[in-house]
Amino acid sequence: MFKREQMISVQAFHLRRCICGMMAAFLISGCFSHGDWRVEEVAGHLPDLEFTLTADDGGAATAKTYGGYTLLMYFGFTSCKTECPVSMARLAHVMQLLGKNADRVRILFVTLDPEHDGPPVLRRYITQFDAERTVGLTGSPADIQSLTKRYRVAYRPRSKAGNGGGITHGDAIYIFDSQGRARLLATSSHPDEDVAEDIRRLLKAGH
Amino acid sequence: MDLLHWFIPWEESPALVVLISAVAVLFSRGCARNEPEFRRKAAFWAGLAAIYLASHTQLDYYAEHQFFIHRFQHVVLHHLGPFLIALSHPLPLLASGMPEKGRKFFVAASRWKPVTFAAGVLCNPFVAVVLFIGVIGFWLLPPVHFTAMIDWRLYRFMNWSVIVSGLVFWGLVLNRRSPFSPNLSPWTRIAMMLAVVPPQIVLGAIIFFASQELYTVYTVCGRAIDGLSAVGDQQIGGIILWIHGAMMSMMGILIVVRKELVSERLLATRSHG
Repeated sequence: MFKREQMISVQAFHLRRCICGMMAAFLISGCFSHGDWRVEEVAGHLPDLEFTLTADDGGAATAKTYGGYTLLMYFGFTSCKTECPVSMARLAHVMQLLGKNADRVRILFVTLDPEHDGPPVLRRYITQFDAERTVGLTGSPADIQSLTKRYRVAYRPRSKAGNGGGITHGDAIYIFDSQGRARLLATSSHPDEDVAEDIRRLLKAGH
Repeated sequence: MDLLHWFIPWEESPALVVLISAVAVLFSRGCARNEPEFRRKAAFWAGLAAIYLASHTQLDYYAEHQFFIHRFQHVVLHHLGPFLIALSHPLPLLASGMPEKGRKFFVAASRWKPVTFAAGVLCNPFVAVVLFIGVIGFWLLPPVHFTAMIDWRLYRFMNWSVIVSGLVFWGLVLNRRSPFSPNLSPWTRIAMMLAVVPPQIVLGAIIFFASQELYTVYTVCGRAIDGLSAVGDQQIGGIILWIHGAMMSMMGILIVVRKELVSERLLATRSHG
């Protein structure tokens, strides 16, 4: 009889433990839940925008320079033949889809090849796309590295990557609200219309 | 390329440096007082160095940006490092390396009910096995993996969680005595090591045979190594999980068989003879 009671109490203990475990799992999974955005929501997971770089007009640029604008940040380099022109053309198309709203949006093209892409090179490059609303950003390899590290973008300065190390880069478009908070992350797998729709939503919410 | 550059931490973690330094000092003091066998010291230092090098050097950059290197990092943090540390049976040495006041505090803390309860739960064989496999499976769920790789706080929590679950698991299965749970028989410990093999093989195989990219974060944020396709990267990562995870269990079983079961039998035959 005693043994049976003991077994029941052990079972109850295990049950309690299972329930506690499940509750913890639900709580944790809450941290990973996504809102009903069409692209990836990253609010709260990536830090606010912060950088000190040089704009394509040669002037100093920080995150505050673009305060009030919704920002679309893309990392690439001007001698990139494949992904970068496609992504930049896509962003220009998204701006077209936004219509008038696009005036409240800026594209930031951050170079991953600062040794080659000085302000004049960047200026020439961005004129091929939405020149009025795009800013090319460059800086010292250390400044570029601190920004890429902040947003988990793969980047090795050439001296560190060894000789002949090609520049690798992702296809993420980091979307910040007008207060510089990282909100969304769009990739090449998201249709342009979805990206535009989410940006409209951000603008409508007044962020 | 400058060799020393590799030892510069990719992302500094003061907590890791403080903790590893404190453990290293305690262990050195414990060794000075007790003069343990060379094998124990070698295993401990190798394990501690492995954990430090895998998590606090430039390797971490590659682990953040290449799936198979991330899997390699976790083999070191979850399997190899904790395995070697547990093999050195370090708790008595660490305790004896503490100053008198510190030791009294730890003895008092380890008798505090919430601590004994938490340690008892963690050191329960069933919980230790579930936790060991659970942390691998949980962090490999594609949406969870995506978020953990972009959020530096979750990334650190992930790495700490695998180190802790590794230390608990290998500490239980490689040592005869455990301070927080009843002693487990060699057979129970061998069963625990066998129990963690099939889930790792299944997970590794699922990842290896996936024809689609499961972990998109590496494509989104960029890969560290140019020229390796997303699926190729994933396949190498799957193989690492599949083979090396299971291999560590086999090593552990061989050690338990040799250290305990064979020596018991030898003693028995000698006493009969």
